[in-house]
Amino acid sequence: MSDEMDEIINDFLIETTEIVDDLSQKFVELENDKDNQELVNGIFRSVHTIKGASGFLGFNQMVQLTHLTESVLKKIKDGDIPLTPGVMDVILESIDMVKVLLEHIKAKDGIEEDLTGILALLQGVYDQAGAPAAAPPPQTIQQAEIPAAPAEDTASSGGSGPTIEELDALMEAQSDQLLRPVGEILVEGGSVTTEEVDDALKIQNMIKESVDTGEVPKVGDILAATEKVSKDEVKKALSKQTQPEKDKPPQQAEQTIRVDVERLDNVLNLVGELVLARNRLMKVVSNLELKYTDNTDVAPLAELTAFINLITTDLQLAVMKTRMQAVRKVFNKFPRMVRDLARSMKKDVELALSGEDTELDKSIIEEIGDPLVHLVRNSVDHGVEMPDVRAAAGKPRGGTVLLSAYQEGNNIVLSIEDDGKGIDVEMLKEKIVEKGLSTPDELERLSTKEILDYIFLPGFSTAKVVSDVSGRGVGMDVVKTNIMKLNGTITIETEKGKGTKFLLRLPLTLAIIQALMVGVGTEVFAVPLASVVETVRIDQSNIKTIRGQETVILRNEIVPVHRLANKFFLPMGQSNGGHKMYLVVILIGEKKFGMMVDKLFGQEEVVIKSIEGFSNSSEGIAGATITGDGKVVLILDPAVMFVGDLRT
Amino acid sequence: MAYNTAMKILVVDDFATMRRIIKNILKQLGLNDVEEAEDGEQAFKKLQAGKFDFLITDWNMPNCTGLELLKMVRADAKLKAMPVLMVTAEAEKEQVIEAIKSGVNNYVMKPFTSDVLKQKLDKIFNK
Repeated sequence: MSDEMDEIINDFLIETTEIVDDLSQKFVELENDKDNQELVNGIFRSVHTIKGASGFLGFNQMVQLTHLTESVLKKIKDGDIPLTPGVMDVILESIDMVKVLLEHIKAKDGIEEDLTGILALLQGVYDQAGAPAAAPPPQTIQQAEIPAAPAEDTASSGGSGPTIEELDALMEAQSDQLLRPVGEILVEGGSVTTEEVDDALKIQNMIKESVDTGEVPKVGDILAATEKVSKDEVKKALSKQTQPEKDKPPQQAEQTIRVDVERLDNVLNLVGELVLARNRLMKVVSNLELKYTDNTDVAPLAELTAFINLITTDLQLAVMKTRMQAVRKVFNKFPRMVRDLARSMKKDVELALSGEDTELDKSIIEEIGDPLVHLVRNSVDHGVEMPDVRAAAGKPRGGTVLLSAYQEGNNIVLSIEDDGKGIDVEMLKEKIVEKGLSTPDELERLSTKEILDYIFLPGFSTAKVVSDVSGRGVGMDVVKTNIMKLNGTITIETEKGKGTKFLLRLPLTLAIIQALMVGVGTEVFAVPLASVVETVRIDQSNIKTIRGQETVILRNEIVPVHRLANKFFLPMGQSNGGHKMYLVVILIGEKKFGMMVDKLFGQEEVVIKSIEGFSNSSEGIAGATITGDGKVVLILDPAVMFVGDLRT
Repeated sequence: MAYNTAMKILVVDDFATMRRIIKNILKQLGLNDVEEAEDGEQAFKKLQAGKFDFLITDWNMPNCTGLELLKMVRADAKLKAMPVLMVTAEAEKEQVIEAIKSGVNNYVMKPFTSDVLKQKLDKIFNK
């Protein structure tokens, strides 16, 4: 029994937390769309639900708090209290307190919060409507002295409307008459007027009184007999009596089950193993096909392998889908955050969301929150100007931050765009020189994009005054590192006076990628195909050294060259007749460079396995995989591997 | 015992925890054959598909409310005699009147104990 109770409380915590997360979002939406009755109803219902369950579970403080919040919401719903920012602050504060109470319930610490402050605030808002004091909250089960009738106790103590006694009396009187009167249906259908039905009822009563026994004629019959309505219409009305009012068929209800994340991870792992085994199988079969062309068993084997290949790919997709979550989950917390930030900075900022239904792998969703928080804060703090400044610049006083998500090929793009002051590139240059990160001469040669990239260097901040919101100079480099860990990229677009846009490009999934297999000496490496632009065969003699950096000219573009062999201290092979080399051209963000290798083996689907006991992110190794022929191969992360070289 | 403990009950509430709480209370009364639905639409489908003896429904639900469900049940030739108990809150007394007019068999206000629920069941099934 107590186990059962624990489980129920656990359910309550999970479900209520979901509701509360959802609430913050809804409230901010509501502030911008005050007349949205549906939204108000939804919010009211959510709070009501929490109160209802809390009552059963004996969470007195939760009941007290949600009861008063609910009362205030009811006033708002009925239009008795205008929804001002001040009122909203109080409601949001009460939702925050709900969260605190949930934490106590979760921790089972039995600590009672001091609710007097927030309750007084709520009561203050409630009294604003000039209404009588809110009814005392219903008691919870444990509180009730007479457990047999807790509802009756509270009903008589406050509230408006009918009393319990009246309701019960009505209940008794009505309980036999479960069908709608036929007259009502006829009136509804426009066949007769209410007066005519009343007349028919009078006739019926008169007959009832005069005839002691026998059948009393039906209302419909009387109406038909007095020629107020045809017999057919009565028949139709009678048939309606037994049919559903709404003809809409019940919709297919969404069937979902909760699954432990660990189980899903396990399934994904197994599918990963399956993909690896499939790759090996395909290689073995293709070898067999070459060796035993005449053997009649080989053809069906190849056919079967092709089929398994197909199924494995579908299975992999299906499993990945189970792990996909809408970015809504992450986006939801931002309206509240932006609202609070803007209010604390006396700015007027509206957050617009788009593409909340775009889905990303769960592990990416989990990691993307912090970088996004930083970027959104940054936009509100550094991007959007004070209302007066905006007005002086001929802009609307209120600024907008647009947070959007969309799919672009195999990537998901998250963009954070503000219509603020933009980044002053000239000021940025001064700052770079001031910090000794570069010289004016060097900066002259860089493109705007390259200059903007300095923002992502550790310890760089452009804000002259450091606010407590953002801009301590920590962060942007951390943001970039976090994004790169997810195999993503981040770029900035900005226009002075118009605004700034941060673009995050993220892979759909982290676990399985397409890779280009390359060889250096006797070693094989996998390069994520997403960053590969092209592969070219070049002659050693085409490599020119400019300021100590090897480069080649590809279609009039100077491309720096890095030798993969040097990174791993491997001897370069001379298998290609000495002077011919393969160059894998890689694009990271806006930067292009060539990676020199000995051999190209082709494209393969690889499952990324992390290497235990090895911090791989900083060394440019994304992980390891097992290839079709059973070899363990390192997966390179060119973005990190050559990032140091790119900076010089 | 006024009611049959073997009867099959459908509990409708959009809040899973609440369904569980009600199921738990029913269990205390020896009623174990309980199924759940999360809104009126789902409930109506289940009612039509399975042989239920008793319907316990929340009132304030998204999509299809308890009142709408009740009306659908009362208008259905097969289901119109189904006993229906509505679960409501103290603040929703006006709704009780609406429910009574629409033919609900009884109502119970949250929060309630197993004793209260038993009284209500006795009232419904004694008739």
